[in-house]
Amino acid sequence: MPKWVFTILVFAKISIRRYFRDKVALFFTVLFPLIFLFVFGSFSKNNDVSFHIGLVNQSHSQFSQKFVGDTKKNKMFKVDKEVDNLATAKAKMSRSEIDATVVLPADFGEIKNGQNPSGQAIIYYDQNNISAAQTLQSVLQGQFEGINSKLVKSPAPFSVVSESTNTQGLSKLDYTVSGLIGFSIIGLGIFGPVNYFPQMKKDGVLRRLHITPLRVWQFFVSSVLSNAIIGLFSIGIMIAVASSPLFHFKIIGNYFELATFIILGILTIFGIGLAIGGWAKNENQAAPLANIVVFPMLFLSGTFFPRFAMPEWLQHVTTFLPLTPIIDGIRMIATEGKHLTDIGPQLGLTAIWAVIIYAIAFRAFRWE
Amino acid sequence: MAEVILEVKDLQKSYGDKKAVDGISFEVKKGETFGILGPNGAGKTTTLEMIETLRPIDGGIALLDGIDVAKQPQKIKYMIGVQTQSTAFMDKVKLTELLEQQAAAYGEQIDPMDLLKQVNLEDKASSYVENLSGGQKQRFSIAAALVHKPKIFFLDEPTTGLDPQARRRLWDLIKKVQKQGMTVILTTHYMEEAEVLCERVAIMDEGKIVALDSPKKLVQQLLGRGFSKQEQIEQANLEDVFLDLTGKELGR
Repeated sequence: MPKWVFTILVFAKISIRRYFRDKVALFFTVLFPLIFLFVFGSFSKNNDVSFHIGLVNQSHSQFSQKFVGDTKKNKMFKVDKEVDNLATAKAKMSRSEIDATVVLPADFGEIKNGQNPSGQAIIYYDQNNISAAQTLQSVLQGQFEGINSKLVKSPAPFSVVSESTNTQGLSKLDYTVSGLIGFSIIGLGIFGPVNYFPQMKKDGVLRRLHITPLRVWQFFVSSVLSNAIIGLFSIGIMIAVASSPLFHFKIIGNYFELATFIILGILTIFGIGLAIGGWAKNENQAAPLANIVVFPMLFLSGTFFPRFAMPEWLQHVTTFLPLTPIIDGIRMIATEGKHLTDIGPQLGLTAIWAVIIYAIAFRAFRWE
Repeated sequence: MAEVILEVKDLQKSYGDKKAVDGISFEVKKGETFGILGPNGAGKTTTLEMIETLRPIDGGIALLDGIDVAKQPQKIKYMIGVQTQSTAFMDKVKLTELLEQQAAAYGEQIDPMDLLKQVNLEDKASSYVENLSGGQKQRFSIAAALVHKPKIFFLDEPTTGLDPQARRRLWDLIKKVQKQGMTVILTTHYMEEAEVLCERVAIMDEGKIVALDSPKKLVQQLLGRGFSKQEQIEQANLEDVFLDLTGKELGR
């Protein structure tokens, strides 16, 4: 084993041991992201429900009973159980507790002309929720057309068939978990070194290393190595909890590829922490700079809020933040089952950032 | 005449207009203990830091065992051991691990317990530095500075802030290191320390060396200039009383 490998391994080993003895560090890197997982994860649990609706059935026909039953089973809707008349429904709509109300009139589904059941459902909606009502209307329209075509056997000349392209489908939880992995990487990679590097300078700990023949790059490599191992540990715990029956998060991609990409992400983001912490003489220099760098990524890279919900121009801008390709890449491998070869743009962008960041970090580093 | 291990010629360092080190020259022989004395701001620490490769040399030359410090700093780093003013180490790391890490910085593997025994800290092997006393920290930091068996050992104000017992224990330790043949260069505020440890001392003031000789000769020179102390020298002083009452060997 070459001497420099030995040097790096000893340094990495000792900083990993030190991490496991540091309860504060353990809290912020393991428990803290888990708290976020519980908070955001429980928001996104009912991820199949698109609409909360009220359903008022004034008819006693067999058809209407069946229709109500089908609607309740439909995963797109969550039917509010408390609504049984239009008045409650309207009150709930005005408080935005439900998006719209479907009323089946008394004659709905009754057999007229001795042939087929017929009727007209009415959708009530609040002014605030026009789009929800329109979507609901087209969904019901589609449902009715399906029934109509069974009753009236005349083939429709035009039709639209929708087919799912991705059987797994992306749920909100998929975005939440990949975003929180990004959050973990930031916590460990930036907030960590930004705190302890200036402290080690103040205490003269880095000065002591400066006296030895230890090279800056050896110090960097050992720090990256220990950070990557610690990162995989804390992210591993988060994925394990997310995959538990509590959240039902499913990784369909290759674990090895996922770990490889996460290590690349940790390496890149930790470089930012190394650059800031290595440059700063004290906490007063490090903290403001860290905040300027971290906050845009924290809110705009898809950590807590999925980027698709942003206005288009902002999506374009935020594509190029260092954390964005990392979070996207993690999600694509973990939940879309993509391979490293499929995520060239994410890999490339992350690698470019890594080169830029480490070029800066090497130049900015000061032992004292 | 022992061979010269450190040769300093016309060494200079300026901060802005202020000349912190103003063209000093001296030689240190192999196995010698050399002291640099002087008030705060005299340039002692800056001088050491230039020889230790920690600060760029503005002018002049420093040769360590014939090697130019400014030109081959990486080579110099393997030859020197430095005990810094700060005795802080990484927290939550055991003494044995810290020594292991320190040695690894030189690419070496050592037996940490062996070193800890030399500085009487073997029973603290699994402690963290933050839980040691001031004197123990100083002793440990000497052990850490010697992991790679350097040719020259630099100590910057090693006993500042220690109580008298701890100071004496440290002196004993430094003497032990001397006996192993190590060249020692130290700075200090304490004249007594210089008298006890150093074979020769350089007295610095405002960046210049104002006197350089053995402590005894310096005193003789002073007396030769017709100096006499106003009060008669006492047979014992208050420090001796303190040490007698509190016990030197029990000190921590």
